[in-house]
Amino acid sequence: MLQRLQDSAFSMWVVGSDSLWSYPTILTLHTVGLAIIVGSAFVIDLRVLGIGRDVPVQQMRKVFGFFWTGFAVNLASGLVLFAVDAVHKAGQPVFLVKLTLIAVAIVITARIRRIAFGTAADGTSTTPGDARSLAVASLVLWAAAIIAGRLMAYL
Amino acid sequence: MYGFITWLESTGVSTALRNTTWVWPTCESIHFIGLTMLIGAAGFFDLRLMGFMRRVPIAAAKSFMPYGIAGLALNLVTGTLFFIMRPSMYAFSAAWWAKVFFIVLAGLNAMLFETTLGARVLTLGPGEAPPTSFRIVGCVSLLSWFAVLYFGRMLPYIGTGN
Repeated sequence: MLQRLQDSAFSMWVVGSDSLWSYPTILTLHTVGLAIIVGSAFVIDLRVLGIGRDVPVQQMRKVFGFFWTGFAVNLASGLVLFAVDAVHKAGQPVFLVKLTLIAVAIVITARIRRIAFGTAADGTSTTPGDARSLAVASLVLWAAAIIAGRLMAYL
Repeated sequence: MYGFITWLESTGVSTALRNTTWVWPTCESIHFIGLTMLIGAAGFFDLRLMGFMRRVPIAAAKSFMPYGIAGLALNLVTGTLFFIMRPSMYAFSAAWWAKVFFIVLAGLNAMLFETTLGARVLTLGPGEAPPTSFRIVGCVSLLSWFAVLYFGRMLPYIGTGN
């Protein structure tokens, strides 16, 4: 199945085409999405840790909108990048590590949204203590996901 | 210039770094982490300058900036190391020059902003529409940083002369 995915006409176009609009653009989109996802998570986590306390909770909720937009971009571009190299990537341990780190980081970000930026928090500037440890975990996990992603080119 | 590039590539520092296997991937990882810090913090402030999220006091939007600048610092250091390791790969790449152009543009834009509008910006109250000058500065900054990212990532593919 992975082999068929990799040999599909679409995969062949992505890797075979000389056009800058094929593989290089999809790869770059994946990096743009990364900047939006982790950039948003970075600002959210800093806010939880007490930086920018005067940014109202209601406004911070908009940052989660960017976060999920970036995630949609990277889910789509990531699926294509997987398809063109499916057999190799499916068996690459560091790729599975990356996916696991992202899954946990996503769950943590959703939990931060619920406990620190829900409507109950409106008008407050401090965040509950357990949100702080989640924010630290989020920063570490996203950085680790980036490292795992980068090391996919080497391991 | 050609002489400088070949000299740099032949120095002991360049050769030693280039031949240490883990240096390049480590610098790349840090470079990617740095870019998310910069784009996250600067992007938030730029969007506010452009008139989005107007209920955010502008001074509060700016409080993430030192962390964005820390990301920029990481990337200037790792970027310099990349250049030291492979000067000829970069110096003869049109994409790299485009990247440098947008880094300089973003830098000058930020300096211009800090020296001329910087004090005025903090007087802008929540909910107030930003003046056109703020919007332009925010827009130039945001587009420049994404252009830096674009030309960095596309570096192996465009303007290499191949």
